[in-house]
Amino acid sequence: MAADRSAAELERFLAERADHLMRTAVLLTGSREAGEDLLQTAVERLLRRWRRFDGDPEGYLRRTLCNLAADGRRRAGRWRRKERLLRTGAQQAQDATADVDLRDALVRLLWQLPSRQRAVLVLRYWEQLTDAEAAAVLGCAEGTVKSAGSRGLTRMRELAGKWDDAAAMCSRNGQRS
Amino acid sequence: MNTDVEDLLHEGMERFTADLRAPAGLTRRVVRRRRQQLALRSAAVAAAAATAGAVALAALGVTGAHQGGIATTAYVVKRVDSALSAAEPGQIAQMTVTTTRSGVGPGGTTATTTAEQWSYDGTWRSVTYSPAGHRIYDEGFSTSSRYTLVNYQTRTWARQTGMRPALPSLGPLAGFGRPAALVSGPHGCEPVVAAAPLLFRPGLPGIGFSASSLPAASALRAAVSCGTLAVAGRQRVNGIEAIELTSRPGSPISETIWVTPGTYLPVRVVSRSAYGQPGLQQTANVTWLSPTAQNLAKVTVPIPAGFRQVPLAQAIWPILQQIPGVPQPASRAFCPSPADLARACFPLRPPAPWPFPG
Repeated sequence: MAADRSAAELERFLAERADHLMRTAVLLTGSREAGEDLLQTAVERLLRRWRRFDGDPEGYLRRTLCNLAADGRRRAGRWRRKERLLRTGAQQAQDATADVDLRDALVRLLWQLPSRQRAVLVLRYWEQLTDAEAAAVLGCAEGTVKSAGSRGLTRMRELAGKWDDAAAMCSRNGQRS
Repeated sequence: MNTDVEDLLHEGMERFTADLRAPAGLTRRVVRRRRQQLALRSAAVAAAAATAGAVALAALGVTGAHQGGIATTAYVVKRVDSALSAAEPGQIAQMTVTTTRSGVGPGGTTATTTAEQWSYDGTWRSVTYSPAGHRIYDEGFSTSSRYTLVNYQTRTWARQTGMRPALPSLGPLAGFGRPAALVSGPHGCEPVVAAAPLLFRPGLPGIGFSASSLPAASALRAAVSCGTLAVAGRQRVNGIEAIELTSRPGSPISETIWVTPGTYLPVRVVSRSAYGQPGLQQTANVTWLSPTAQNLAKVTVPIPAGFRQVPLAQAIWPILQQIPGVPQPASRAFCPSPADLARACFPLRPPAPWPFPG
């Protein structure tokens, strides 16, 4: 079909869905600033081909966000990832004694995961896509999505287990004092 | 437990992003910026037309180094040059080269040959396929100046050391199938190249006619720097909104290069004769690979099991016989050494302006 689409149509679409996509972008990148950059770049790409765009714009933006996030992560380099791991690791120790919800810790753990695992978890548990839909977005096999999701969740469960242990220890210490 | 963690993760995502909103005016900002870019592009196209395609065009996504998003040819060429300079030896150029030659043989038919080629840090490899997609031969140079040829039709292979495709000292070959002059001159462009600014000599692939007989990044870099190309617009190439650079009017060879706006690395190169006769066109789709062990292995010519090693001349001869218009050696008992192969065994025709008349 590929009929020309107006800019107003894009504006309407974005007015409706940009907030949700912004949240997806932030979950993929780990910060508001990076999420904004990611979303704006993705929207620019959509805009370039908008007039003849024939497809689901949200799906396109979602796919672009995932690809851009993975590219950005690759560019960031290994040392930055290590730095983030160290920083988050320090925060984890602090979190166990501070009054921070496990849910927040899980989201922070999300940003430690490799980009593929992170994208799968965001698509599965934030965007609520099926494995097949997530595979289509990421351009990989459904099995890849399943295994990446499984590995990501395993890390999450490990964290939850440690969290329970720390909570139990805190509870015991509280009883002693 | 599984469900708990999944639910908690979802709740965590909800909670963490609950107060997030898309930047105010995102739509307007992006739309406005896009309109500005389109307006700039239109203005630049008009300017380019007025000056015979010489000057400017808006380049989307290019910011910072130039005012208002206008990218001049000089700017684009400079960025391409820098990108190619960084790409060698940083990246492997992988190319699929399709050569179409019309008016072949007595019937004047069109012949199309496809080759896959890799070039990296002074090494290159080219695998040539028949129109039916069968592998005909595989050739390549290693860093130690070792040339390897595998002839899949005769199930033979040969290896010669001491051969170097891109060295100007090879004399006739430099102007024949190999654009060595592209990088040998003080300004990167020798007269012969200025007259025929080919990135890839649109000959038939193989045996000295390979597009990548010179490291691709060097050849591209030198040709881009020759000053014969001008920014012509934007076009979608392999899913990328690429910047198009084309030969200026009057160039004997029509050549177009598309580069990605983000990296400024070429993604496609098309060369064709401006003379009309013979109708030769070569299209190279370029992919830039990181030099991982897996990718580097692609630059090496593998010797298939069961193939018989023979002298180089014996491996080359059956291939040359199939290439129309290629000068043939006088006899089978030729080329006892690589030097002879380069200088004497092939009675080369003058390289300019066109190496392969119909």
